[in-house]
Amino acid sequence: MKKFFTTILFLSSFILFGQEKSIISDLDGLELNIGDTFTPTTFVVDGKSERSDCVRMIYYNKRGVFSTANSISVDNQSGSLTANKPGIHEVVAVCFDADRKRTSKTFQVNVKYPKVKEIKISLDVEKVYSGTYVPVTYQVIDEMGFVRDNVNFTLKSSNDNLKIDQINNIKAVKGGSSVLEASFEGITGILNIDVIDNPVNSIELTPNTNQVRTGDVVQFKTKAFDKKGKEVTDVPFEFTFQGKSFDVSNSASGLVDNNGKFVADVAGNYLVTASVGNITNSQALVVYERNVKRDVMKVGTGLVNNKHTSDFWVFEGVDGRDYAVTGTWGADGTSYFWDVTDPANILKIDSVQVDARTVNDVKVSEDGRICIISREGASNRKNGIIIIDVSNPYDVQIISEYTTNLTGGVHNLFIYQDHVYALSAGQKYYILNIEDPKNPKEVGMFELGKEGQAIHDVWIEDGIAYSSNWRDGVYLVDVGNGVAGGSPSKPVAFGNYTYASGAHHATFPFKSKSTGKFYTVLGDEIFPKGIDVNAPNETAGFLHFVDFSDVDNPKEVARYELPGHGSHNYWIEDDILYVAMYSGGVRIVDISGDLMGDLYKQGREIGYILPGNKDGYIPNATMAWGAQLYKGYVFYSDWNSGLGSAKVMPVKPDNSKVNQYLN
Amino acid sequence: MIHIFLVYLLSFLNFTSNLSKNYYLYVAAESDDVVSLLQFDGDEITELERINVGILPTEIEGPHGITVDPSGEFWYLSLAHGSPYGSLYKYSTQTNKPISKITLGLFPATMQVSESTGLLYCVNFNLHGDMVPSTVSVVDPELMVEIKQIETGTMPHGSRLSSDGLFQYSVTMMSGELFEIDGISMDVNRKLKLDMMNHDHHMNHMNHTSESNMMHSVVKPTWVIPHPSSNLLYIAGNGSNELIEVNLDTWSITDRIKTGKGPYNVEITPDGNYLITTLKGEGSTAIYDLDQKKLVKKIKNTANVSHGIAISPDNLYAFISVEGVGGEPGIVDVINLKTFELISSVKVGKQAGGIAFWKISS
Repeated sequence: MKKFFTTILFLSSFILFGQEKSIISDLDGLELNIGDTFTPTTFVVDGKSERSDCVRMIYYNKRGVFSTANSISVDNQSGSLTANKPGIHEVVAVCFDADRKRTSKTFQVNVKYPKVKEIKISLDVEKVYSGTYVPVTYQVIDEMGFVRDNVNFTLKSSNDNLKIDQINNIKAVKGGSSVLEASFEGITGILNIDVIDNPVNSIELTPNTNQVRTGDVVQFKTKAFDKKGKEVTDVPFEFTFQGKSFDVSNSASGLVDNNGKFVADVAGNYLVTASVGNITNSQALVVYERNVKRDVMKVGTGLVNNKHTSDFWVFEGVDGRDYAVTGTWGADGTSYFWDVTDPANILKIDSVQVDARTVNDVKVSEDGRICIISREGASNRKNGIIIIDVSNPYDVQIISEYTTNLTGGVHNLFIYQDHVYALSAGQKYYILNIEDPKNPKEVGMFELGKEGQAIHDVWIEDGIAYSSNWRDGVYLVDVGNGVAGGSPSKPVAFGNYTYASGAHHATFPFKSKSTGKFYTVLGDEIFPKGIDVNAPNETAGFLHFVDFSDVDNPKEVARYELPGHGSHNYWIEDDILYVAMYSGGVRIVDISGDLMGDLYKQGREIGYILPGNKDGYIPNATMAWGAQLYKGYVFYSDWNSGLGSAKVMPVKPDNSKVNQYLN
Repeated sequence: MIHIFLVYLLSFLNFTSNLSKNYYLYVAAESDDVVSLLQFDGDEITELERINVGILPTEIEGPHGITVDPSGEFWYLSLAHGSPYGSLYKYSTQTNKPISKITLGLFPATMQVSESTGLLYCVNFNLHGDMVPSTVSVVDPELMVEIKQIETGTMPHGSRLSSDGLFQYSVTMMSGELFEIDGISMDVNRKLKLDMMNHDHHMNHMNHTSESNMMHSVVKPTWVIPHPSSNLLYIAGNGSNELIEVNLDTWSITDRIKTGKGPYNVEITPDGNYLITTLKGEGSTAIYDLDQKKLVKKIKNTANVSHGIAISPDNLYAFISVEGVGGEPGIVDVINLKTFELISSVKVGKQAGGIAFWKISS
């Protein structure tokens, strides 16, 4: 019997296999020239090679609707394809038979590159010295003006002044003139290179300090001299370092840039080397622990454990006492008001409930009279903002709601000098005059004005709005500062910085007290493994420190990245960063001095707070949302536990001997 | 006597076969970023599973549209919000785990998969955007590639297919138009203005030049459903409180049927006998006899803001999603289409909206 069933099974599978259909098309192996139009012939064959036609046939470019999809365009009315750009492109053929059964196949269509017309080579440095590698840039342009990438050239030097290795690195080895030839498909581009004999005989290398802690940026001054002891200018120095950690099980690490700035992450012995060609000089450094750790004591808690808590704001009321407001997330549109005059005894004193599911952001005016809250998930889908009179925080009163142009939900907002800056549908922000809070009036709007514009946050300081625009980075917008002639009714963008991850979520402007430099601190928001609102989540992303001292030439110089935890909202005061790192709690970080490299690795962390609470919405799960330093206390909100306060204790006398050599 | 016996026997068999049936459906909760898998056993509806969806846990991406493909192997979910574009997720009905994701346009909403073209047609509602024309995305759901975005009018909504699967219909809420798209060529075939001439008033709006952009429709159509067996289709006039009947042969409006406040979604029973519409503004559901074009019954839903409709293929039950307000849970109400009574309800996530029937199983 068993054999019988096995036989039946075998026969069934054979029959099924025999019925399997596949697409045959003259798209297979198709080569087209740019501009060609082609109408494919496509049909289906079954396992017995019996042909059947498609009742319905659809072709499409597999790259979809994105701009690159224009490389091959498809007209399904006529069933024809047109080749627009060179390269290998994927075309999907979808066939439906009379029984509405689908068969599809992806074909690779080669749109042939036009013949190469020209190869351009340019030198990326002004002078080439013997003993150095030669940086060059190639550009291959074809007869139709397309520029080709990733071309594997054949390189040749006219003499042995240049040495070319197997992967086309070019090294200048001897002084004299050479001609570099780059050939591809029968076309050759040439570049004349004059190699100068390295005039440098010695290098002087001087650090600006000998007392170095981890995280301290050491600036090396370099001078090159020839055989006669005469200084040689205009020579490019290359900097490297090596080191050994004091801790034998740890690696020494750090960063050195092309301007001779060096920072060590780990305490140990380091050797920084400057070189020009084969001439080098090194300087030893001993780097000690930064030793900035301080005790951080939790002081008080305003527990919210029946719903998630979102953003918060602490403010001085008109009566001189201290208050806070917190929003709620994914709940019933409630905001809570707290008396935090005694940070150890945080009292819930009032609340408002509005038609919303999420009150993501809350802010209070400088005079402590007006609170604004954002709405998302309103049942009438109008969302917008709510303006609340908080002159008596024990009895707050809703003054007005404003929804015009804000129906898509307000995720974040800011209040500054009688104006509200409210995000709209995550795409732009509107500026409302609330001098009469009963009748807010729209006076301005800022958007990037580009396809796919997106925004997550806006923060105002000194008349400058810092908007966080995801992949478009931070925009600095004059809304009254005057630096670019802007005002609330005429916002004028004057600065921008973007970075590769495109996860730019929040911005805090930071003028360093210790260096006078001006930074924008740009935070990511990333959840690498998606979500679970009822369990702890994995978070990622970090803070990017961008030196904006030259607004036209911003430079990213440092990061604060807490391994395993992602960044959210933060506050900076007196060169100390208070950052909510979601699952990593609130981190307190010394950001004094020049900033360069990985601030976490440099031991700059002063302390931390883990707000997870056994009675929290998710018990013991830390999910710090934001932090604010207020009158010497660190206040914070936590998604699972509500509002909290903590105190960073004074620096203890340093009794260790590790730091005895420092001032 | 034998005749009576046979009638009783058939009734009994029908009764017992219904007793043993289980109905399964999915409903999306827009303000909770969850989807619920529900089971109805003929008496009681229960939540079998609550599936977390979305991208960032600290942001609501707003699952809005949901549909099950004709094979029943996959369900598709549109997430309204992104940065800024929304997205489409493909899930397995076996595991309720996501398989693939693509980005669509602004606020992708209602969608359906065609049995004839195999493609998924999803409107990009752009609910909160500027008053500019939006699009219908055409997606190959097998490879999850967005093949084309077809421009229609302002705030397109209610993507439904003709019974042969070859034409897609949607209405545009702000420009007040009905659009027919050829499912194969993926071009707009024809469009029809739904406002009566004395309904029109023009916005004093700058920067937009096309005629449709200048108009705020009074009808505010939110849904369209072709009749399964005739040449008619029906549209919910959310703003004008009416159902609009359109003859597909003549491409003209043939009737306007007054409803309660705010008809929002409309579906027709597979046998073509009844039209069911949610009345968003009243928190109720209305059932119309299509032969008579008369209201059979209006049923108060369990909470406010009635939203979506899914009808069982055996014509026996309508499942109504109800959004609720603020912190209230969403609700799915079950209406018996023989007795026209609300017979069971279940709480789901907040702002329950998109609802899709999956299967009947014994």
